Formats: sequence, C-alpha cells, structure tokens
Amino acid sequence: MKPIQNLLSTPAGRRLLIAVLVLIGLTLAYKLLYPLMFESYVGKTNAPLTYDSSKRLTDAEFEALAADLSREARYRKAASIVSTDQEPFARQVKIEMLMGTDSVVRDSEPSHIKYFRDAGIRRYEGPDTCLTCHATIKIDHPDGTVATVGTLEDIVDSVHFKFQSDSGGFSTYGYDGRQVNSGPHKIPVGKIDRACGIPGSFTWTGWAALVEARPEHAPEGEVQLRSEGCGQCHIGGNYQPATEKMMPIGDVPNEAKEGIDCLICHSTRYDMNQRVVIRDANGLRWDQDRSMRAALTVGPIRSENCLRCHQHNMGGDVYLHNAAAQEIGYAHQRILHRGAKRGNPFSPHDDAHAAAGLQCTDCHRPSGHKIPRGRMGVDLVANDLPGQEVSCESCHSQAPHNNSEHKALLNGHIARLACETCHIEELQPTNVVLRDWVHPTWNAEEGIWEPTDVYLSGEPGKGFTFLWFNGNGTFLANALGNNPNKSDAYDPLMQQIARIDDPEIVAAVRAKAIELKERYPEIDVDRYVEMATNPLSQLSPELLEKRERMIQSNLRSAMNQGESRIYPFKRFNAMMYEDMSNQGPFGAMILPFDYKTYYETGDSRAAVVKAVQDPIVRRMYQEPFKLYMMDEFMAYFGVTDGWQTLYPVVDGKLVNVEPHWMRQMGTLMVNHGIQGSGRDCTDCHSPDGIMDFSKLGYTPERAAELEDVDIAEQLTSDEMSAQATPSD
Amino acid sequence: MSDRDSESRLTGPAPALAAGWLLILSGLAPNLACAESETVDNQGCLRCHQMATLAYRDPGTGEIVDLSIAPMALSHSAHGKLACSDCHSADFDRYPHPKRLKEETLSCVGCHEDQDDADQRLYRFETIDEEFERSVHATSDHPKAAGFSCHSCHDPHAFRNSRVGEEIRQIVHDDNAICLSCHKKVQDPLRDPHAWLPKREKHRESVRCLDCHTPLTEAGQPVSHRILAAEDSNRDCVNCHSKEPQLLNRLYQYRSEEDLASKGWVSKAVFNEAYVVGMSRSPLIDRLALAVIGITVLVLGAHGYGRYRAYRREQEDQA
Repeated sequence: MKPIQNLLSTPAGRRLLIAVLVLIGLTLAYKLLYPLMFESYVGKTNAPLTYDSSKRLTDAEFEALAADLSREARYRKAASIVSTDQEPFARQVKIEMLMGTDSVVRDSEPSHIKYFRDAGIRRYEGPDTCLTCHATIKIDHPDGTVATVGTLEDIVDSVHFKFQSDSGGFSTYGYDGRQVNSGPHKIPVGKIDRACGIPGSFTWTGWAALVEARPEHAPEGEVQLRSEGCGQCHIGGNYQPATEKMMPIGDVPNEAKEGIDCLICHSTRYDMNQRVVIRDANGLRWDQDRSMRAALTVGPIRSENCLRCHQHNMGGDVYLHNAAAQEIGYAHQRILHRGAKRGNPFSPHDDAHAAAGLQCTDCHRPSGHKIPRGRMGVDLVANDLPGQEVSCESCHSQAPHNNSEHKALLNGHIARLACETCHIEELQPTNVVLRDWVHPTWNAEEGIWEPTDVYLSGEPGKGFTFLWFNGNGTFLANALGNNPNKSDAYDPLMQQIARIDDPEIVAAVRAKAIELKERYPEIDVDRYVEMATNPLSQLSPELLEKRERMIQSNLRSAMNQGESRIYPFKRFNAMMYEDMSNQGPFGAMILPFDYKTYYETGDSRAAVVKAVQDPIVRRMYQEPFKLYMMDEFMAYFGVTDGWQTLYPVVDGKLVNVEPHWMRQMGTLMVNHGIQGSGRDCTDCHSPDGIMDFSKLGYTPERAAELEDVDIAEQLTSDEMSAQATPSD
Repeated sequence: MSDRDSESRLTGPAPALAAGWLLILSGLAPNLACAESETVDNQGCLRCHQMATLAYRDPGTGEIVDLSIAPMALSHSAHGKLACSDCHSADFDRYPHPKRLKEETLSCVGCHEDQDDADQRLYRFETIDEEFERSVHATSDHPKAAGFSCHSCHDPHAFRNSRVGEEIRQIVHDDNAICLSCHKKVQDPLRDPHAWLPKREKHRESVRCLDCHTPLTEAGQPVSHRILAAEDSNRDCVNCHSKEPQLLNRLYQYRSEEDLASKGWVSKAVFNEAYVVGMSRSPLIDRLALAVIGITVLVLGAHGYGRYRAYRREQEDQA
C-alpha cells in the first residue's frame, strides 16, 4: 500500500493515477464495449464457429489417410511420366514401380504429411492450425525489398477478406467529377456496400440464405434446401461480411478471424461440396471443408484454387468446364446462376494462357495476401494494389506479333486497340446482358423463382461493345476514355451504353416481354421494350438535360486523360426496384432483394421489403450513416443534394419505390478467354463491321477510311494467292 | 530518285533509329530538298506508318524495329516538304510491299550533293562523308558498329536543324539522347568511363558529347562528323574552361546567337558566361560588381558634370 499512498500524497501523483485509470477504462471500453455496441448497432452477431468437417483423427487414422494421399499423389506423378502408348497392364506395372521410388516420393508426396506428423497435428482447426507454423510470412515486393508481416493481419486487411477499401488510387470518378476517395473524406467502397444488378443484392443482406426449393422431379410436396448468397465466394466464415472493417476504429472479432477459410485457396484437394449454407443457433453461415484431407494437401497456389470462386464470375456457373459447379454440395446444394456475369472463362479449353499452363498468379503476382488486379478497372471492386500493373504488355511487349507476315501492321494496331479487342472474339453465349429482377420466372426443374434473363449473348455488338478506355471508370462502372482526337462526338453515356439499337436485340426483348406479360398482365409491352432498350427514356427532360451537362462538365476531363485505347466491354443492365427519393441523372439507389423470399415466392416486392428491413439497411437510412458515408456516396453517384433518409418501407409497404432499368448499362472489362489467333481485318474494316467508328468519335472522313476494305481485301487476296502458289 | 547506289558508303539498313528530334548545329542551308513537291500527300503511306506501334521484333537480333513515323515530327522536319516517294521507291504504295524493295538503299550524300546550291555551301555533305569515313563509328570493327549509317543517328523522318531561340539545355539533352540511346554504359554510374570528369551530371546537362568527342574545328565551323574514339577525345579542361574556349566554340557560338537575338550584344559582352577554371562564377556577385561599377561611373559622371557647371557659372560670372 505504501507506494500508492506515496503516489496519492502529491497532486501530481493523483493526476497521474487518474490519467492511468482513465486510459485503462477507455482501453477496456474499446476492447469490450465497443464491439458489443457495434454489433447491436448493425444488428449482426458474432459467435464461436464450429465446422463438422473439422474432426480429430487418431494416429492410425492419420497414417491411413496419409498413405492414401501419398499414393494418390505418387500415382498421378508416375502416370504423367509413363507413356500411355503401351499395353495397359505393362503401363500399370511401370507406374507402380515408379511411384515407389524415393525420388517420386520426395517430389510428389504432399509436404504437410510430414509436417503434421512431426508436429502432432491430428485435427485441422482453421487459421489457428496454419498460424502454428506460418505466424509470419515474407513478402517480396516488386522493388526487390523483402518485408516480414503477420499472416493473419495480412489476410484480414486484404480485399479478399474485407471486400472494400478506402484507399485512394482508385481510377474511379464520381459523376460529380471528383476522383473517388482522392479527397480528405474517404469512404469504404467495394463489394461490401456496392449494390449491383447482377447479384441483385449486396453482401450485408445477401450473405447466406437457405432457400426452400420444390423441384418438379422431387416427390410431391418434398422440399429441398438450396444455398445462395455472396458468402459462397468470400472467405469470411462468419454470419456476415467483415462490416467492422468499414469503421475507422475497431477490428473484426477473433471469432470472425477464426472463420477464415485458408484451405479454399491453399489446398489442392478442397471439397467444394462442403461449401454450402448451414444453420446454427446464431443464424446462417457458409460451411467449409476443414477436413484433414484438405489440410494435408496444401500446396502451391494454382489456377484451380482461384477458379473455385472466380470461374463463377468469368465463365459462369453454367460454363461446361467450371469444376466448382460440378461440386454443388452433398446437401443444401448451391443454386447455380444461369446467366454468366462476364462469360469469359479462364480454362485450357477457352483461354490460350490457361492452355499454355499459365497460373493466375503468373500475371496477378501476389504481395503476400494482396493480389493485384492491374491499374485498369471500371467496376469499383476494391483493389489491394492499385499501382501494380497486370497487363498483356508486361510479358508480350509492344511488339507481340511474330507469326504473321503482317506482324508490323498488327503491332501497329496496339497504339489504338487493346489486345482483348481482337483476341476475345466472343464471350460465352450464356453472357447475360439484360436481367429483369422485378418479374421473376419459375424454374420448374430447380423449383425456384429466378430473375428473368431477358437477353443473353456473347456476340460482339450484342453481348459486348467497344469503347475507348484510359483506365478510368465512373461510380456505376462505365468505362471512361475518348478518341485521341478528343472529339466531343464520342459520348458513350448518351449513346453506346445508354441505348440498344440492334433490331435483333430489340426483337428478342419484345418476345421476352410478350412472354412475361402472360404471367404479369400489367406489363405494357411497348413501354417495357422502350425502357429496356432506351433506359434514358425513364428520365425526366430536366434530369436528361442535367445529365448531359454533368457529362460535359464533370466527366470530359476524366475521359480525355492519358491515352485511351479501344477495349471490349461486356454490357449489362438490370431492372430492379429503386428508391426514387434518391434519384439522380445517372440512376437511383437500387434496393436489394431478400434471396429466400425471392426464390421461394417470386414476389419481388415482398423480397425488397424484407431486405430493406435488415437492420443495417435501416441504419443506412439514418443520420449517422448519412454523414459517415452516404452523402459522399450519393455525390459520387451523381445525386447532388445528398442522401435522403426517407425510409422506403412504411407499414410493410414500399413507398416512393419504382421498378426501373439502370439509366445506362454497366460495362465490365473482359480480359480472359483469350484466343491465340485474333480477328480478321474485315471484321472491323468493312462498312458493316463490328465497330461503329462514327460513334467512336471519328470524323466522317476518317470513319469512311477505316471502313475502307481496300487494304484488307488486298491482304486477303495476297494470302489466297500465297496459299495457292507456295512461295519460292 | 531512289537509285543512288553510287554513294553506297553511307547506305545500309538503319538500325535503331533514334526517336525524337535530331539536331545538329551546323551551317547547313535550311532547305536541302532534292525535289520539292508543292503539294505533298503522304497520307497513303502514313495511313499505316503513323501507327505509333508499327514495329516488329527482328528475328535475327531480337530487337524491336520501329517502323512508325510521327506525322507531326515529319511535317516539321527538314524533309517535311518531301513526298515519301521522293526518297523511297514509288512501288511502296502497295501493301504488302514487294519483297525486292527490302534491298532498297538510300543515300543522304547523293541527294544532298545534287542540290543546285551544293558548291556554295560552307559545309558540304561530301565533307561530312569524308569526316564520317574517319569516324570511330565507321572504322571500328566492333560488331555493334557494323552497318553504321547516317540513319543510325539521324532519323530522316524527324531530323531538323536547331534554330536560334531554342532552349540550349534542350538542344544538349536531345543531342546527347542520340548518343545515349546506344551508349548505355555511360548511364551506368559504376561503369561510366567518364568517372574522371568532375561534375559529370552537370557536364552532361550543359555540354554535348560531340563537343569533346570530335576534333577541334575553327570558329564558325560546324561540328565535325568525325567522332573520336575515347582515347583520342579531349580531356583537357582548359580547352573549354578558358577565355578562348575552343571546344565549346560551336555551342557558345550558338548561345551567342541566341543571346544576341534575345538580349542584345551589350549584355552578351557584359555577361559572357565563359567559365574559367579557378574563377568564381556567381551571377549575383557579377551583378553586384557591375552595379558598383555602374554607380561609380554615375558618381564620376555627376561629379564631372557638376564641375563643368561650376566652371561655366564661373565663366559667366566673370563675363
């Protein structure tokens, strides 16, 4: 007691003690009270997570599994060496001899068998197990420096975990003309808070859902549970995304960190059938494969690891070679989406780089757990390494063509054309262009209501279009750029992506509208077609005029920056419910759907009412949220007078909510599905070519010159004659 | 016009044409066109050749061979008024170009000596040719010097003479860029043979490589095209850093012209910026000293004037 009495005897000592106590109090409040307050504010829970697949093995079980895995791996290795061109029995004998050799054992046996055996690890318990040995990792930076970082912090701070970033360095411009997050008021942006027409929801409200499906082939009245939600592709294993990370203070609770699924990226034998929604006492969340089989087969990252999730948004769920879509779950099977998000698969069947054995990380070279996306992007998906280049040129140089007689001429095109423009001839035919969420369609085979895919196409000019792009994009994912002649005639936000003229598409939309009218008699077919193909018709004359003014005064400079080239962009639009209190010339805040209600009842309005009643959406319509981020968000969105906190559900009914198509189509970059041989000259250089040179801002004279087939015809005839008479 | 094989010494394939402005500070007549077309329509060729990335990778060397021509640079160049076909075979108008044209050789000297005014010029292309023949670029047996021609340094599609009024630093920079585009070692601080030179970077910013690596020429003469080997080049500081700097004559002459044009000869005479070893060249002290001298002269003048007035008054009083 003596020291404390001494301390209290002087005023300075008393002040010191009080300061220390206050500090301790604040720290305790921050550590203990703040997380609880935050949880109750956003209405989300955190709880310790358990996984059925995480089982303890006895030593004997461990050794049996290890022997199995070793044999499988050694067999694969030996079989890849022994020629197939022989008597099958002889081959089998040779394979078995080879797989027993010390060198094959050493080279192919999964390395973690030995590590786990020696460390006595008999159960995989998630990140804790990995961190036993991998508490820190070394990161090789591109500049040659090496840093040592904590593994867990590295992954928790990555976009793969938190789905957002408030860093500057986005190449995204608000419709108000400001570069997103370049000013002092930074807001979190990324997939976590980006409502998007393709998934129809966002991660807060659409994280995990168990849907009761009634497939026609099932016995009468039987209900099957199906899994749906954003969490299937995102590595947090919790009941919600890492919302805590959106705040300037506070951290994700340890329970959530323990839910990180290391193995989906690091294991070579991860069982995607385990990746389904489960319900426990605290709610719904996504299950994981935490088996020893998956843990023991950890190995270097290969494309297959990435594609477990990313083929979903590249080739799509219905893509023939989507391996994960073949493993949709032993129970609670995942719902596969019919329309593909991009329709450009990365697989040896449809991509030259995948066929050449390139791995994703050969181009997207990671720094620890941060993976670069490149400097070009329009989609507002957060980017961990915005400064790091991922481009064709970094390998192929400025003179990539070596095979053709016309190599110099082909190389000449690179100053104006992106490689993808010629080397992605088409997207998958399942590429969805127009999706109607408001009028769902019954899928009898699956027994659920699905959004109606009004138009699908992978063809140039239909499923995707060609736009000038300098690396900048708008807040609603529209590519920015301009013809190097800095023409004012190039105006994609009023033309290419705000209007569909193609008579084939218009006819297809009309046919779909007539089909929908059978179930939804209130549909006015003409108006439906007009809204879908001319979304600007939904704007009042004042808003239309304001839109044109904002494009000219706010976006022109971002369009004219740097060097633009012509890129292919997948076009997309969706009809969704919009909060009309928050409408601007570029669209209104779209409202999310509750997946369960939507898929089960097909009542799209009820699904919106349910999702909007989610606690975090309620908070979104309150003052703190408005001040923290929504005002800024809406300014970027092109709504000049701030976020209106008029909650759109009153007495269980939607108020001031209308179904609309987005006022312009979103444009998504397509960079995969690359073909070795590019387009023919006449694909573009002909009067009815795939590029509309006038709309691309060329003068009539130049456009006529570009459409001139002279050179192209000369080339073709020369090639013909060269083929006819072998050259000397 | 394309067949000028008589001057084959300066012909051959042009490896790695240095891009950008190519400049010489010579007394060449501004217009040396072989043939002048009143209306030049190069659009047919430029349709392809203006593509900034028109290039291919030479299978022999692995290097990228740039075939692009910047239309603006061409039209502003010394050859800007020429039609492509004035130098190149007219048969190039077809694409793919006929294979036999790959052998086409161009000669600068042949064309330039055909000019009417050739014999009136101070500095003739024949002289350049003679100088070049003794240049290390022509005499070296280094494999990289094989096939060295005018075009190795002077891009005929962008070349133009420097003019009075251009920033001298820019001239030096652009000129040295031509040398540095091949002589990479010079840029490597560890291997740079100029390690002996004090204030290397300053020198590189304000002196052309040529100023030391060509033989001395008389005042008024342009830079020689006889590039000297490293061991023969000037290493004597005093050649530049003296009151009569011989090496820098050409550059200073140009600077003088510029100064004369912009500031008048008085300030040129007063602020002559020759740097003499051992002298402090602080512009501030120069100006202060000039001010002191100026004030002294003024005071002296005023005093003299006062004495004169006093004298006149005395005379008037007496009269």
